[in-house]
Amino acid sequence: MSAAWVTPAASWITTVDHKRIGVLYGVTAFLFFLVGGVEALLIRLQLAGPGGRVVSAETYNALFTMHGTTMVFLAIMPLNAAFFNYMVPLLIGARDVAFPRLNALSYWILLFGGLFLNASFLVGAPPDAGWFGYANLTSKQFTPGPSVDFWLLSLQVLGVSSMLGGINFIVTILNMRAPGMTLMRMPVFVWMTLVVQFLIVLAFPPITVGLIFLMFDRFFGTRFYDVAAGGDLHLWQHLFWIFGHPEVYILILPAFGIVSEVLPTFARKPLFGAPVVIYSGVLIGFFGFGVWSHHMFAAGMGPVAALSIATMLIAIPTGVKIFNWLATLWGGAIRTTTALHFAVGLVGLFTIGGLSGIMHASPPVDLQQTDSYFVVAHLHYVLIGGSLFGLFAGAYYWWPKITGRLLDERLGKLQFWVVFAGFNVAFFPQHYLGAIGMPRRIYTYSAAAGWTFWNAVSTVGAFGIALGVLLFMVNAWRSLTRGAPASADPWDGRTLEWRTSSPPPLHDFDTIPPIYGRDTFWREKHGRPGIVPAPTHDHTHIHLPAPSRWPVLTALGIAVLAIGALTHVAVVLAGALFTVVCMFAFALEHHRNPAHAQQDGDLGVDHRKVAVWVFLGSECFFFGTLIATYLAYNGRSVVGPEPHQILNIPLTTLSTFDLLMSSLLMVLALAAVQRDDRRQARLWLFGTALFGLIFLGFQVYEFTHFVREGLTLQRNLFGSTFFVLTGFHGGHVTVGVVWLLALLILDLRGRLGRVDAVKVEVAGLYWHFVDIVWIAIFTLVYLMP
Amino acid sequence: MSTVAARSDFAREILHVYGIITWVAAVIALVVFAGLAWVLLRFRDRPGAPPPPQTRGHTLLELSWTIAPALVLLLIAIPTIQVIFRTQAAPAAGALEVLVRGRQWWWEFRYPALDVATANELHLPAGRPVQLTLEGPDVIHSFWVPQLGGKRDVVPGRLNRLTLTPDTPGEYWGQCAEFCGASHANMGMRVVVDAPAAFERWVAAQRATPAEPAGPAAAGKAIFASRACVGCHTIRGVSAGVLGPDLTTFGGRKTLAAGMLPNTPETVAAWVKDPGAIKPGVKMPALGLTDAEARAVAAYLMTLK
Repeated sequence: MSAAWVTPAASWITTVDHKRIGVLYGVTAFLFFLVGGVEALLIRLQLAGPGGRVVSAETYNALFTMHGTTMVFLAIMPLNAAFFNYMVPLLIGARDVAFPRLNALSYWILLFGGLFLNASFLVGAPPDAGWFGYANLTSKQFTPGPSVDFWLLSLQVLGVSSMLGGINFIVTILNMRAPGMTLMRMPVFVWMTLVVQFLIVLAFPPITVGLIFLMFDRFFGTRFYDVAAGGDLHLWQHLFWIFGHPEVYILILPAFGIVSEVLPTFARKPLFGAPVVIYSGVLIGFFGFGVWSHHMFAAGMGPVAALSIATMLIAIPTGVKIFNWLATLWGGAIRTTTALHFAVGLVGLFTIGGLSGIMHASPPVDLQQTDSYFVVAHLHYVLIGGSLFGLFAGAYYWWPKITGRLLDERLGKLQFWVVFAGFNVAFFPQHYLGAIGMPRRIYTYSAAAGWTFWNAVSTVGAFGIALGVLLFMVNAWRSLTRGAPASADPWDGRTLEWRTSSPPPLHDFDTIPPIYGRDTFWREKHGRPGIVPAPTHDHTHIHLPAPSRWPVLTALGIAVLAIGALTHVAVVLAGALFTVVCMFAFALEHHRNPAHAQQDGDLGVDHRKVAVWVFLGSECFFFGTLIATYLAYNGRSVVGPEPHQILNIPLTTLSTFDLLMSSLLMVLALAAVQRDDRRQARLWLFGTALFGLIFLGFQVYEFTHFVREGLTLQRNLFGSTFFVLTGFHGGHVTVGVVWLLALLILDLRGRLGRVDAVKVEVAGLYWHFVDIVWIAIFTLVYLMP
Repeated sequence: MSTVAARSDFAREILHVYGIITWVAAVIALVVFAGLAWVLLRFRDRPGAPPPPQTRGHTLLELSWTIAPALVLLLIAIPTIQVIFRTQAAPAAGALEVLVRGRQWWWEFRYPALDVATANELHLPAGRPVQLTLEGPDVIHSFWVPQLGGKRDVVPGRLNRLTLTPDTPGEYWGQCAEFCGASHANMGMRVVVDAPAAFERWVAAQRATPAEPAGPAAAGKAIFASRACVGCHTIRGVSAGVLGPDLTTFGGRKTLAAGMLPNTPETVAAWVKDPGAIKPGVKMPALGLTDAEARAVAAYLMTLK
């Protein structure tokens, strides 16, 4: 094995190197993929014949729940992340991501979140209400045990991991590109990654809110999904699918990006119409937010026609890509490597999956197909034929770069055909099963239904897929132990990652070349006129991120928090305290490190400011969802008190004024720090925090007064929506106050100077945002009738 | 349960659009696969050959293959919109009203205008529009009888409606199509579409009070009337429980336990003795009947036609 693999285990725990983190993601995700695969095989064994007795009904319901949850959140998403982590910095000519320690934190949260979810098996309570967890089956009334609690807590933990990664990669891609690499000169895989990260940071807040509602209903007795209290069960479905539809693009766009790299490389010509492929990716991401209720055509809502048209429209940018890929191959000099096999496989299989998707876009047809095996076929064609095949293509393509070894091409092609055949045998018949009326999520069926034969065939195919996965593992093992060494550029590649050794050195590139257009590296090699070869040495000092223990420890704190939610409040408090301590240590670890003072990027904006703006964008969706729920439920409470009977507008006007004034003080604080006026900086920082505390004081008074008057979280919909909305806002204010006090203490100890102005500015942005949200809340909740 | 064996106006409308989309999809798939096969065969690398021309794009081509799919989608969108409006229209006057309550894990059917209540087996007259109003007291279910059309969810707290006119007498199978817990797989139903005269006879039988049973069935009735059965089940003239299915005409139904088993004295006796052994999670408890008692109760229930 090459030297990079024999470092002691401890260094893997504190690593912040994007390449190592990519490997961690890849190995972890692959193991979870195997777990999800075993769950699938058990499902198929149970359904191989009528009246199956392989597992009980209860176990089966847990199996399909865990299979879906695992494959989406613990397999495909982190496998995508493995490639984001390893390849994006290399593809844009950076040496790491913008926030290497945050990157490590994302990984450790994923690992602990995934272990937490699967720990549910150990206590005999695996989640069993479906990966989509529809209310009110998920309520305490209908699923009293801890299975759903495991599910909703894990998803929230995993959501944090994804969100942090989203912010990280957006800043990296926008701010850290090689000189001359404009956005339109970025490789398409990087573009798809960028779109996916925006989808993540905007789509996760709605489901986070939906899960918070579910958690509060189950733990604290709120009424969000309580029909008797006036709750609307469609609320869960809306929140879930506003996340869920962008999520499918999160799952597939990276695969599209990989194919957009693999096909040009092995056809030896550029991606045909790269700008259009990029624009279509952006359009898909954007419009993907508008079509969520095509998952709800049978739910009994009103205007389905508009959503149907919108869904069909999205098919256009998707279909365009297929033609662009075909045109890339056309006129090329195609080398039929394994990576190319999988990429071509994706093109064919995703076409089938996309076409069955078009069928679902027509509500009349969908009313027959939804919740049947037809849609199970559709989703596996796009997720296996699409996402998984794309990931295999990426694996075969980038394996030499990552490991310094080649995978065996003969075994690889055999593996491809086994997976391809197994997959089609497993899932094509399911279109037919759906057409002849087999519903989904059923643990058994009767012989008289006429579904037996094709179910048996499907089961055989599933084991074919398993064999194919096994062959991949064999290929991987043989490569790692005695595979042929790989050169820096075994495929005559077109992009920057092939310009460095296999595997790359710790610092990725000895020199970072200027970029003159797309495929600069290829044009360098093949002697295109006008390309100046890059200098052979680089005078820029290479700063490498230092290893850190705080990511893994912070993630551990979060895991303890989650465990505490299922065990004892003392554990919750311990976990919270530990997490907060770790977060402070994390934040202060490089406080006085001169290499971290300036973090300017290509956009001319400091990394940390871009990060906060992205975060605030996600917070807009978070609070927007809470406010929208409040408005939707306004007037639907079955019992009082009602808003106009209890809200104290004069008092709240005062507290609003106080909060607005605190923003002014924050502005003064920042100005003072920027001109190094130590006295004034302390004064205004203190003032802002004080005014924030006063606001919180008003809120505490209000809450206790309301409870005395009979309005509690559990009383009615108004109580549930009001307290959760304003409570989370108050929580945000609290976080802001703590943040400001921390800055104040730093200043009092003489450790906050002009050079730290960016940190104060970032706190200020957060503080102003929280104020603006309050203005919205004050207007919509208090002032509007 | 085939979706392509349409037996109502609703199902036929759907099949019409289904057919169009399937043909369009097949043509598109063929074009893509043929194109893929051709490029893979025609444009192979030859060792030592120079790189091919580095074509970056072709605006006109890209425009046309953006516009072409849009036009093709019109072929699908137009019939889709037409069928949406036709199938979501309000039912004609004189439609038969049926209240459908989907519950864990069985179906309750009430005909308010006819004073009929039954469970798990829905009878409809051929040729007459029926409006199904769907609601439920527990979790979300979905009413799906593929041969009679698409599905519609049962959402507690909402009233959903499905309108259709079955056109062919026959027996059709349906099943719950929204995961609803342990026995979601066991929440089937039968829909019997009768010629109008036969439907009237069925209605009359539903409304009649069952005759006094004789022989072992009488013993069964005595057991029924004296045990907890009466707390959950209604038998006209005997009990008025509402937690479980109405059993007034139980003996005339073709299946047991929401389509799980054929309705025979043996299966009914086994069910009555230990429902949990047959249907995971079922709400009906085992009442500690002996085998003889269970057979007697089964004999009684089979007389209820």
